[in-house]
Order: sequence, then structure tokens, then C-alpha cells
Amino acid sequence: MIGRRELVRALERRRVSDWVVIERAQELALADEARGLERREARTRATLIVHQDVPSGRGTARLELAALEGSAADLVDRALALAAAAVAPSWKSVAPAAPAKVTVLDPALARADLAQAAAAALRGLRRPAGATASASLELLREQVAVQSSAGLTARWTASQLRAEALVAAGDRSLAVAREARRLGDLGLPAALAGAAADLGLSAAAGAPEPGRCALVLTAEAMLHGGGHGVWAPFAAHADAALERRGLTRYRVGAPVAPGADRADEPLGIASDGALDFATGSAPVGEDGDAIRRFPLIERGVCVGVGLSAREAARRGRDPNGGVRNLVVAPGTWDGDAAAAAARRGRAVEVRRLRALSIDPYTGEASLELLLAVDHRGGAARPFTSGAVYLDLVAALARARRSAQLIARGPYLGPAAALIEDAELV
Amino acid sequence: MLGPVPLSRRELLGALGAASGSTLLWALGCGGPVRPPSTPARVSGEVRTWLRDAVARLAAAFPAVHVLAVSRQRTTAAVDVLGAGVARARRDGVVLAVRERSGRWREQVTSELTQAGIAAAVRALAGASPRRASLELGEPPPLPPEPAALDDRALRERCEQITRLDGKLSSRIVYAAALVDVDDAHVWSISPAHDREQRLVRVRKQALRAAWNGTRPVVTEAERGWTGGVDDLDLPREAVEQATEDALLLMTPGAFEDKERVVVLDPPLAASLVDAGARALLTSAAARRPEVRRRLEAPPPLPAILAIADDPTAPGAYGGFQFDDEGVPAAPIALVEGGRIAGALADRAAGGSGGRGRRPGHVGAVEPAPSHLRVAPGAAPHAALRDEGLLLEGAIGAAVDPGTGRAVIGAARARELKGGEPTGRVYADVELAGDLFALLGQVSGVARETVALPYRDEAGGEPRWRSVEAPHLRTRGFVRARRRRA
Repeated sequence: MIGRRELVRALERRRVSDWVVIERAQELALADEARGLERREARTRATLIVHQDVPSGRGTARLELAALEGSAADLVDRALALAAAAVAPSWKSVAPAAPAKVTVLDPALARADLAQAAAAALRGLRRPAGATASASLELLREQVAVQSSAGLTARWTASQLRAEALVAAGDRSLAVAREARRLGDLGLPAALAGAAADLGLSAAAGAPEPGRCALVLTAEAMLHGGGHGVWAPFAAHADAALERRGLTRYRVGAPVAPGADRADEPLGIASDGALDFATGSAPVGEDGDAIRRFPLIERGVCVGVGLSAREAARRGRDPNGGVRNLVVAPGTWDGDAAAAAARRGRAVEVRRLRALSIDPYTGEASLELLLAVDHRGGAARPFTSGAVYLDLVAALARARRSAQLIARGPYLGPAAALIEDAELV
Repeated sequence: MLGPVPLSRRELLGALGAASGSTLLWALGCGGPVRPPSTPARVSGEVRTWLRDAVARLAAAFPAVHVLAVSRQRTTAAVDVLGAGVARARRDGVVLAVRERSGRWREQVTSELTQAGIAAAVRALAGASPRRASLELGEPPPLPPEPAALDDRALRERCEQITRLDGKLSSRIVYAAALVDVDDAHVWSISPAHDREQRLVRVRKQALRAAWNGTRPVVTEAERGWTGGVDDLDLPREAVEQATEDALLLMTPGAFEDKERVVVLDPPLAASLVDAGARALLTSAAARRPEVRRRLEAPPPLPAILAIADDPTAPGAYGGFQFDDEGVPAAPIALVEGGRIAGALADRAAGGSGGRGRRPGHVGAVEPAPSHLRVAPGAAPHAALRDEGLLLEGAIGAAVDPGTGRAVIGAARARELKGGEPTGRVYADVELAGDLFALLGQVSGVARETVALPYRDEAGGEPRWRSVEAPHLRTRGFVRARRRRA
């Protein structure tokens, strides 16, 4: 196996202009109740980034290695050959900044046997009454070491957890999934309880009545599929390389959508990769650049983009590690769907989505409803099925956001959003 | 999640610098000679010795043992308006799976396909005991044939050949690219009862086109995939030119009325529907859900003209294999036959004989999954199905909810048909929605020409390969336009 030190020695011998080596020694454990399975995995992954300056510009190569055999010198030669054949206009790396001060390790998992910890967590899991729940839990602990030619040296240990469960009551079931850095942040008991409650609601659910309505996205619907959920277009569009090529609607200095700067509660979003225990956090990014918090949207206007080292150099700025966790500013809305219905005549409170598909170029999305509640005339009627099509960028830029916040995975922001005008089909 | 963009497109744009998500690909451009992977060919016998020793030691401690090892190399070559590039990535892994006397399964996985790495994994499961069970495995299987190694220059040339195929490129095409993607996996599967080895070289060739239509980009692609040599098959010129024509197609402004209609699904859409349906409802994992069990206990009748099977033995199938990742030899499974649901895809964890236990990248957690789904061809030419309704083309994602069986299939375009001819009206971005069994139950026509499509996605950073072979299908369902005002 080629180790990081051998790689570094080989790089120094070959006088590479600029390089970064990232090594991840990972331990994983999976406990799966449904399959009666305990799985342990040990693996090492390494990333080698080389920049070689030549008279015609700077060549860059990035190697992802999951099988470290052979010689470090050969590997560096290969990387240099790749870099020499991919020369782009010249740019200079900025001096390394201090890694972000962020905690990404669950102290309870710092020394624990991961397989035993996963099994114990499942054994101690509180299950909802009146429903059955089978769960699986995957725990990852990784020791990360980063070293660069510019003198950056950083080491940290991180934990990453993923839980999945199937909650069943009678002849209905719901699948739930959660990701977190700490066992306590998974919120699995609450997720199971919420699923059990929604199973009860779905037993009485009828058919959707198409028509115009106000749309309330609850947390489960808003963050469907994990990650940034419906907020994903804001992260995707704030990619500096895409923005520079004009491939997104996002333009720094312009409203994120027409009229977004004049909304009652103008949207504010920041990327914060230094948020303790958020799943998108890390001290150093994938290119060896320090991670920073930076604003993406302020009062409805695009103000920042994620900057890799190269994009930062092109713009004469410091890199910020790219878009990581999204921090969405809270609003003043009380989250009351019934009150929204009283104002608008009808409000559809979306509890769960069946599918969410987003066009990454435009932000247009199709939301397939799995369970929703139709608030109208003082009554609340649960229903299943139906779909809503939204230009998510415009809709969320003008949406009212709840004052109550939630933190889940790479998202910290309002627990619910109210889109004043939508059409249920 | 940004759903509707196929992974291959992200990979391609990432590789060519148009997106920031490129992690697997090494870099653009390398003219050096290819270095053959040293592990598979040179030391196959050595690897077998280590694995057999691991099985012998584990079999002394556990009633059921299976060891799976893989040495994998991925090579991707791409050419576009910005230049050409070749990327290579490498992954090794060993999965030791044992069943305890209590019935619980334990797995130890390592990325070290070395004697020391395997021995350490064995110690983690069985301790340091030197005891070994006696194995009667006989002679090792013959070494699979070594695929021809192509250097970077040759791969770039294959990409440029795809680019040269297209005589319909115009200035309205703002982006054009060609891709050749080769996943070469050498897999060993050994238990006290068997010793198997296979070499799966999965090849995809793809052409990508993008053009602006009003304020929206339209991205189309032609793709073909198989298992075998890089030069065994080519992308047909007609498919590449059709991708260009589809990207340039001017759409009819406005939308049509949302309602139930007769629709003809082109092979990519039919494949997308069958793939999503089989994975959501017809696996042993899906059957853990009470709704799925209930639906499958009394499924609605299906038309006799519809027959669907999963067949990993289909010659050259991109998703095919000789044995699955639990070591079970490949055999076809009928899923829909004689007007009813005839079977499901299972791994051994489900308690049966299995046969579709598949691990992402041959090293991930096992899951029941399809290999090569085949919709049996019908008797009529596909043109004969196009009488009335809408012809839906260009799959942009399908979802089937296992809880309700509701299917939603996105289509890039809908061409209006009347009297057996297209009217010339073409609507962009539509979707077909309905209950999966109702959509399949109303199939009234199956074309005789089929198209095989490769699927490559990832789970936990590891690839999953499968393919679907499907003809045009005529059915009936609710069609609606996706674009609305908020």
C-alpha cells in the first residue's frame, strides 16, 4: 500500500509546482435489523491533486485512489503526465488559510467499537406504539489527513451516520431516512413517531381535489430525499464555474428571481461549512482549501458563489470551500396551515412527498404528493396523491418562512415554508 | 436531489470542467501508454490461494461462508468542443460473509486485496485460531480471457469516431460530446461448495447534444452499452443523428389538456417504466412492505402480450453476469408471464435460492436488484402502434412508489398522433402518471423491434450496473404537462 508519506516524498523529489494529498482511513459498521446483518468495513482512500506550472499555463490532475498498490513515484509520474496534457490558463494558488474550526466527530463514537455502537443504538431505539419499525444504522468514522506543498497540514476525525427505517401499521408503511454526525442528532425516535402518526392519517386520506391553493411545505416534504431537498437549486446554481459560464439563472448582484428583492420577507441563504456537527461541514475542502461561511443570497439578491481554489484565483478572491451546509434565514410566519387557509381560502399542507424531481438548469420541479392535508372552510381533510409543479427558485424566493428552525443533515433553516399561490393537479 | 439529469451527463460535464462535481475522473488528456492492472491477470492464482485459505479458516468457525473479491478498473474517455480527455480509476475489495449459528449474518470488508489484508479481515471475524476446514473445491475454474488493453490515444480515437458519425450537427448545437466508458471488473466468488471467477467488461458509448429552445436548454443523448470488447459494437449513426435532431426540434408553444390518453412509449421510456417498477415492487426487499405483499397477493390481470423477464445470461447484456454477488449462477427469472406476475428478484437473505443478490461495485451491502430486464418483443412493427394519441419520447426519470404502486414517468417530448401520422405538434416536458399495474394492464401493443439500454448509477460511491431491453409499448394513462406557473 502506498502511504501518504511516500506520496509526499515522491512529490517533493519531483519538484511539483503545487500539490495536495488527502488521505482518509475509514471504518464503517452497518447493523440491519431486517436482514439480520452486521457489516464492518475498513478502507483507505486517497486523493492526490497536482498543479504543474509550465510556460503555457498551469496543468492540473486529480487522482482518486481506492487501491493503493504500486510505487508512489510511478503514481506521481502518471499525475504529472496527466497534468502536462491538461494545461489551462495560468493561475496561482493563494497562501493556505487556517482550517475551519469545526467539530465533526460525535464524542460518543470517538473510540467506540462502531458495530457494537450501531447494534446498541438499534436495541435502545424507542419505537412508536401501534406500529412496527425495522431499522438499519450505518456508522462511519474517518481519520482525515491533509498535506499540501504550501505547508498546510491538517488532521481531524469525523463521524457520519445514516439511518433508514420502515415503519408499518396495518397494511401501510412509510420509509424514513436520516443523516447526521451524532447519534443524538439523527432524531430517529421522532422520525418513527412522525411516520406512525402519518400512517394513521393516511388511513383516512381521500383523493386530491385539483385547484389553486396556498402550499405549506413541512420539514419532511421540504427535505425529501435528504440533502438540501427543495433548496437544492440554490446550492447548485451558486457554483462559480457554472455561474461564470452563464449556465445558471444565478447572477451575482441580481435578484435571485424577479421581484425577490421586494418580497415581504426577502430570502437570505448562507453556506456554512463550519457549522458544528452538520453533515456538510469539514475543516478543509476537497481541494485542500479552507472552508468558510459566506452569504449566497441577501435580501433576495445573489451575493456570493462557492469558490474553488481555481475559481477564487480567477476572481482574485480567497477560496471558500464551495457550497456546503445551507443556512436559510428564518421568517416570521407562525407555521399555522389552518390560519393560512383562512386567509387564502385554501391551504394544502404537504406532509410527505412521494417523489421530488428538480430540473438543475432551471430550478423547475415536480412534487409528487404522498400525504397532504387540505385545509378549507375550517376543516382539515387528509388526502393522498396529486402533484404540484413549481419554479422552486421563484417560489421559495417569495415564500414565507417559519420562525421555527430545524437542523437536519446539511440544512439549518425554517421548519416550514408557505408558498402563497400554487396549483394542485 | 437534482433528479432528472442522468448520471452520465453529470459525469461528462464534470469531466469536461462544466461542473464542479468531478471526483472520479483523473484529468483531461494523457498520451502515455496504458499500464495494465497488475492484480487480475498476473496474480489471479495467487488471489485464489488467499481466498481459499480465508474460506477454509472461516468454514472452521461458521456454518455458512462466502468470500467475494473484486479488482476493478474504470476508464472513461471523452471528447467535446473543449478537447479530449481520458480518466482512470481503480478499486479493489474483498467481502467476507459468514452466518453464525444464531442465523445472524456478519460481513467483514476490506479494500486490501492482498494476503495480509485478507488475513486481517479473517482474524477480525474468526479470531486468531489456526484451524482450517478441509475444502473439496477441485481444480480452479479457467482464467477468464484478458480483454484487449487500449491506450489513451486509442480510446480518444474511439470517441472521435462517434463525433464523426454525425452529419447533422449545426451551429444551433451549443454543446456536443462523445463518451466511451469501460468498467472492467474481475470477480472471484468462493465458498466451501463453489469456486467461481468472472471477468465483466462493461462498455458504454454515448453521444450528447445540447441546444437552446427558447429560454431552456434541451439536452439529448444516444447511448449503447454491452459486456464485451470496446470494439464489439458501435453507436449507430442513425441514433447519433436522431439525438441531434431531437435537440434541435422546435416545440409547439403552450400546453395540451391534462387527461387520460392513449400513449406510445418509445423504448427508453418503456425501459424506464419497467426498470422503476421492477425495482420498486418486484424484489424481496420491496416485499417487506405490507402494501407490496398485499398487491402481489392479488395482482390485477395483465395482458397476455406482455412478458417481462430478468435475464443475466442474455448474450452481451450490459447488466449480465455469470454469477451474482452471492455466488449464485446466473439464470433467467420470469417476472410477468401468461397475464400475471410470475416471480420476483431475490437475494439469499430473503431465504430462497436467491440469484439476484447484487453489491454496488461488487463490494457494497447486498441488495436484490435486476440484471438485464427484457420485455419480450411483439409481432407488429413499431410504426403500426402509432395510430392515435401521443408518442412519448426521451426518458427523463421514472419513479414508482412501492407504498401505492403509483408511477410517474417523465418524457422529454410528446408528439401528437392522428390517423397513424404525426400532426407536427410536439410538446416539451410531459409526464405519464398512474398506477403501475394499470399502466401495464392497459398495454395494447408491443412492437417487435427492441432496444437495449445500459444503466449505471451509484450507491454509496460504488457503481451499480443493469440494463433493460424494451420495444415500443402502447398503453393508456394520464398525461400532463410539467411546466406550470407557481
